[in-house]
Amino acid sequence: MSIEVRSVDKRFGSFVALDDVSLSIPSGELVALLGPSGSGKTTLLRIIAGLETPDRGSVFLNNEEATTRSVRERGVGFVFQHYALFRHMTVFENVAFGLRVRPRADRPAESEIQRRVMELLELVQLDWTAKRYPSQLSGGQRQRIALARALAVQPKVLLLDEPFGALDAKVREELRRWLRRLHQELHLTGVFVTHDQEEALEVATQVAVLNEGKIEQAGSPDDLYHRPATPFVSSFLSSVNLFHGRVEDGRVYVHETPLLVTPEKTQSTAAVVHVRPHGIDVQLKANGKPGIAATIKHINAAGPRAKVEMLTDWGDPILVEMDHQRLKELSLSVDVKVFLTPRDESVFVYDGA
Amino acid sequence: MRSDEVELTSVMHGEGWGGAETPAKAVARATADPVWARRLILGAAIGFMTLFVLLPLAAVFTQALRNGVRVYLAAVTSAEARSAIRLTLTVAAIAVPLNVIFGLSSAWAITRFDFRGKHLLSALIDLPFAVSPVISGMIYVLLFGAQGWFGGWLADRNLKIIFATPGIVLATTFVTFPFVARELIPLMESVGIEEELAALTLGANGWQTFFRVTLPNVKWGLLYGIVICNARAMGDFGAVSVVSGHIRGLTNTLPLYVEILYNDYDFAAAFAVASLLSLLAVATLIAKRMLGGRSGHGVVDAELPVKEAA
Repeated sequence: MSIEVRSVDKRFGSFVALDDVSLSIPSGELVALLGPSGSGKTTLLRIIAGLETPDRGSVFLNNEEATTRSVRERGVGFVFQHYALFRHMTVFENVAFGLRVRPRADRPAESEIQRRVMELLELVQLDWTAKRYPSQLSGGQRQRIALARALAVQPKVLLLDEPFGALDAKVREELRRWLRRLHQELHLTGVFVTHDQEEALEVATQVAVLNEGKIEQAGSPDDLYHRPATPFVSSFLSSVNLFHGRVEDGRVYVHETPLLVTPEKTQSTAAVVHVRPHGIDVQLKANGKPGIAATIKHINAAGPRAKVEMLTDWGDPILVEMDHQRLKELSLSVDVKVFLTPRDESVFVYDGA
Repeated sequence: MRSDEVELTSVMHGEGWGGAETPAKAVARATADPVWARRLILGAAIGFMTLFVLLPLAAVFTQALRNGVRVYLAAVTSAEARSAIRLTLTVAAIAVPLNVIFGLSSAWAITRFDFRGKHLLSALIDLPFAVSPVISGMIYVLLFGAQGWFGGWLADRNLKIIFATPGIVLATTFVTFPFVARELIPLMESVGIEEELAALTLGANGWQTFFRVTLPNVKWGLLYGIVICNARAMGDFGAVSVVSGHIRGLTNTLPLYVEILYNDYDFAAAFAVASLLSLLAVATLIAKRMLGGRSGHGVVDAELPVKEAA
């Protein structure tokens, strides 16, 4: 089922949660709404579900206007951030709830309910917890039960609010892969909210980045990562070194040092330059090519890649990530002078003062 | 040897404290209150309890049974006593369900809706706690009494509220209406709205959500509120005294009847009837204790994560 949101506004008092947001989600996609807290991503999800009413604009489900339809009538599965499992019901009854509350005419027979619930519990690999209560389960297990409960009513759309937010790192990794697999198997349209860019890029087929109630950019994870449209998207998707520079004669200058990159814009203008820390070549001697001269201030080699903090000659801090082998080759240490050449694919140039 | 090790050894040898002391004892001594202080505080608590609660309670039953079981039974089964019991039960049977409905709806409104005057409603619920019961009674006399605002209108239609059962029911409902609501509001606030929203997304309608999700989550708290509300409904004296008119065998509730017997110097009968109310109190305490444990008294399952501010 496709989802379309058209020019939606939502305010809470004087706080603008969503400002003229439009988003189109084709059937079958798994979309991440990515943004920092307060960016409006959860509000957008709740408006799609019908848990929140937009001040203006409309929501279309399967190309039909759904703005005035209640939560019950929209037929969406919703997984709450803190699971919202019914604490007084067993796991089995939690999953069976959606079937039991149906009007008598379309309520399945008890044996059918039994079969469907157990099938779902097997799908989430928790059939052995059927008789337990939510409080007896771990966070990751509760999350999977919440998912099974939402799937029990066979929704066409699955909406998940920070599905892995409250879980520890290891369980999170596992559930991410599991959600992606589930999405492939069930051919559902899915939307999930997250503030974790890694999660969004890894799990989703499409990502919409939100900031201050507006969608900054929407596209495939690949597209977003390699072509971030705005400085916000660039800095939200990965850590960056920020410089104020300028574009002149088709070249990018950072503090009089020309960078060996070709900017998309060629007219002369002030520019904000983002340089990803892992895309910078480090040399001990100037090799004739223009490079940024910097002095090493701190080296942290604990982690998959070494992080080297430096200070440029004009006084801006700059972070460079390199692999351990390169660090050894150069035998870098504090106070050593180096020359930096940012690679083309890790430099992003934006208009700005 | 480090200096703290020296310290530890000296304590272990009991230097300065007299006698050998095991390390465990030394730790216990260091972290607990002195024995004399504990004995004093405990003694004070138990002493007051005995003097002001247990002794009077025992006195009620001794006095009630002083002239023998036969006199006791005669006192509590006399026509007037039975009428008072019947009236008390009738009043509670009307006032308590009314307050359950009121308590549930006001708790629901305050915790689930945003509306103008929410704080006013929340404050007004406590009004009966704040005013003297006598005033609560007088309000109804003022409204429905012979000289009251609606007195003439009622008299024309031959309807009697003051000095009759309806007045007693009204006054009792008024003085007991905070109990259920006050019990439910914090409980429903801590349970939160998410489970109800989840029920809606799963296709449940309002009634199904209420009966299958909301009510089971607050049932122990609700029962607790009902027990307390009932105890007050049966035991209230002040408000009921003003509106009842003390007509024997007609508008006397148990507490009022006790007072009449007492004023008639019929002490044995007075204490016999009073013992019934005392038994109700004891039963209430037991029920309260049992329900209080189950409802956690407002504490919800600690293992479920608390909702963060979005």
